[in-house]
Amino acid sequence: MVLFGVSILIFGIARLIPGDPARIALGPMASNEQVEAMRDRLLLNEPITVQYLNFIKNLVQGDLGTSLYTRRPVTEDILSTLPATFELVLAAALIMTVVGVPLGILAARYRHSGLDIAANLLALLGVVTPSFVWGIFLMLLFAFHLDILPIAGRLSRDAVLPPQITGLLLVDSALAGMWATFWDALRHITLPATALAMGGLGTAARLTRANMSEVYGRQYIQLARAFGYTEREIAYRYALRPAMVPTLTILGLDFAIMLGNAFLVEKVFAWPGMARYGVEVIIRKDLNGIVGTILVISAFFLIINMIIDIIVAYMNPRILYQNQ
Amino acid sequence: MTILGRSIQATASAVLLASLAAAPAVAQTVLTLDEHAIGEIDPAKATDYADSILFYNLYDTLVIPEAGGTEILPHLAESWSIDGTTYTFTLRDDVRFLSGEVMEAEDVVFSLERMIALGQGFSSLFGGVIESVEAPDPQTVAITLSGPYAPFLGSLVRLAVVDKDTVMANLEDGDYGEMGDYGQAFLSTTSAGTGAYSIDSHDPQNLTVMAKNDEYFLGVPEAAPDIVRLQYSIEPATLRALITRGELDIGDQWMAPEIKAAVAATDGVGLGTEAGISSFYLKLNNQRAPLDDVHCRRAFAHAFDYESILELTQITDDIAFGRPAHGPLPLGLLGADEGIPTGRFDLDAARAELDLCQYDAGDFQIQLNWVAGNPIQERIQLMMQLNLGQLGFDTTITTTPWAMFTELASSAERTPHVSPVNFILTTPDPDSMLYTMYHSDAAGTWASVDWVMSDEVDRMIEAGRTETDPEARAQIYRELGQKLVEDQVSIFAYELVGVFPIRDVVHVPALQEAGQTYSVQGMNFMFREMQMQ
Repeated sequence: MVLFGVSILIFGIARLIPGDPARIALGPMASNEQVEAMRDRLLLNEPITVQYLNFIKNLVQGDLGTSLYTRRPVTEDILSTLPATFELVLAAALIMTVVGVPLGILAARYRHSGLDIAANLLALLGVVTPSFVWGIFLMLLFAFHLDILPIAGRLSRDAVLPPQITGLLLVDSALAGMWATFWDALRHITLPATALAMGGLGTAARLTRANMSEVYGRQYIQLARAFGYTEREIAYRYALRPAMVPTLTILGLDFAIMLGNAFLVEKVFAWPGMARYGVEVIIRKDLNGIVGTILVISAFFLIINMIIDIIVAYMNPRILYQNQ
Repeated sequence: MTILGRSIQATASAVLLASLAAAPAVAQTVLTLDEHAIGEIDPAKATDYADSILFYNLYDTLVIPEAGGTEILPHLAESWSIDGTTYTFTLRDDVRFLSGEVMEAEDVVFSLERMIALGQGFSSLFGGVIESVEAPDPQTVAITLSGPYAPFLGSLVRLAVVDKDTVMANLEDGDYGEMGDYGQAFLSTTSAGTGAYSIDSHDPQNLTVMAKNDEYFLGVPEAAPDIVRLQYSIEPATLRALITRGELDIGDQWMAPEIKAAVAATDGVGLGTEAGISSFYLKLNNQRAPLDDVHCRRAFAHAFDYESILELTQITDDIAFGRPAHGPLPLGLLGADEGIPTGRFDLDAARAELDLCQYDAGDFQIQLNWVAGNPIQERIQLMMQLNLGQLGFDTTITTTPWAMFTELASSAERTPHVSPVNFILTTPDPDSMLYTMYHSDAAGTWASVDWVMSDEVDRMIEAGRTETDPEARAQIYRELGQKLVEDQVSIFAYELVGVFPIRDVVHVPALQEAGQTYSVQGMNFMFREMQMQ
């Protein structure tokens, strides 16, 4: 239902972007007859309701139309670019969680210490610095000056591609036991994923710290201390679980938002992903491309949030009972 | 064997396999370059620079322009004759497609019909012009035009010959009756031409890999790259790092000048240039007051600081991406006139013209537009704003995204007063530039935002189309150039010079040797002419 609503909204908004898609696609030398012929072929001269019904009819057959930008089926474009973006966002989410959450826990445990201040500073820098600035900074430092990581792309020029199973190079190469390719892909994804993760990492660290600090003030934590539990046991068994619920929700939102926002990072690292495609189709008013990309991102947004809801309900069953 | 042992063995095997698979690449020369996305490989749809690079390497045309000149030379056609409006081409008999089939007249007929039917790319060069196309025998193609059309030979550099049999064997369902999709799906993934290179893999947004065609009818020199990797839309900062580290051999011309200068300062990197195929204009909206008065347009032209702007284009001491413009046509083209004086910045002359203008400067707010993503255009408009301010004009500078600019260009009322436009030649014939920019029938696109709408200009352009004697044509275009300058339909700011960072590992004659430049976009990147060092 939500996707249906999104499709109507995006279908309408895409058509409000100025410019004639046929003229943009055909260029200045095309005659007016050619432009009109293309408009007819794309049904652009029909009422918007007719255009939308035609779009839905094709959509149920898995056809998102042809992109005026790449002149290929939009489905093909998305299928060829989505795995790269998904892998990048997945890696970034992993870095956000594995680095951001422990950073927040440590900062909460050692409040007002040097570690807390350093964690806060890093978190703040992560939040206020745009991901493309991180991208250029990391690239210049690690790829250009130190020369220990590659500059761009998903794989080296002479790397052997693994058989495509999921489209995620790390997963496919691991499944095929192609460890040289796995290592190469890992080296390539490290910088873009870190650049993309920095903003969310800062948020995750700050949220975890704030929530943990709040939980540490609760009476049951004092009771646990009175019973002689170690600080480590208190942190991981009693404080972290309730403190993680809001963090997880934000991480879920960040994950979906990153799918759309990865554009600049993909651009900096020449990462062949869908976010870059999404921006290019908007610039060129490629109606089918715009609607297709946004529908896919919306679908991901919904799926990720459903998964997060399930995890949150598992971590805090009271939420489930309250709803019931 | 332990798990660790098996893992080590698996890793070793994978590394061995990977190194074995990669082994041939060591012996081959690989050229890596960059252009802006996307890369369209269907020759009937090619329009942009990247498309053109692909076009001239994957396919061949009946004729090609002379390097460094204006003549049209034989290529797939070994000769031709012209009888009235009928052009009869005799084809070479030693040209084979990638499939191994011999290229014949039926393939040319099919390619032309396909291009016109699809109605994309440069099909407008042929659509309303051709009455019939026939193949009386396998080596002869007869094309009859609906009337005299002198740019026709030059237009043929945009007709790529595709392998009819291969395309017909790969038709899919589509809108073209018995022709199905006319091979669009097939030709968007691979090539079916006679070109010096063939497609290894193609992702239109990211990377096209091409391999040398050893059966090419003209032969491909050994020094030409074995493999070419054409990457798309790399961020300038990334490009700089890649070139400096030796991971990219030729950068694109769209990089900011300061980045080009920084790259050129690196050991082992030089700059190549492509001049004479493009110009930069500040288009004045001739239909909108106060610029519907020629004196006001002349005042604007005198308020343009040509020398300072040319200084902005300087990249190194001896290379700039701009050179003085002598009227609308870049020097070297048929009809370009070095006798037309370059523009002159003179505020006193501007004030004198303004006195003759029917409008008062203070009555208008002038819109100075620039297209987002082109910072040089913003600098130029800021300078223009300053100078027009001294003439008493109130101005606003607006940034317009590309899609919005194309929309504004569709009506004279909405087109801003002053809009910057780069125009790159798509065929070696001046008509492709003059008709597209200045003929009334071509109005309403981003290239024609000056809205000239002049019967006299239309007549001169049409005379250039119907006159078949080259010298008489050149004279028509010289007179047309003078007329456009006299009417000051645009500010002819400077001729654009494409500047490309090139690593020493490759020599590109068309960009690095004097008099070797082809006057068509993309043609200077024929990889078969390049030499890997």
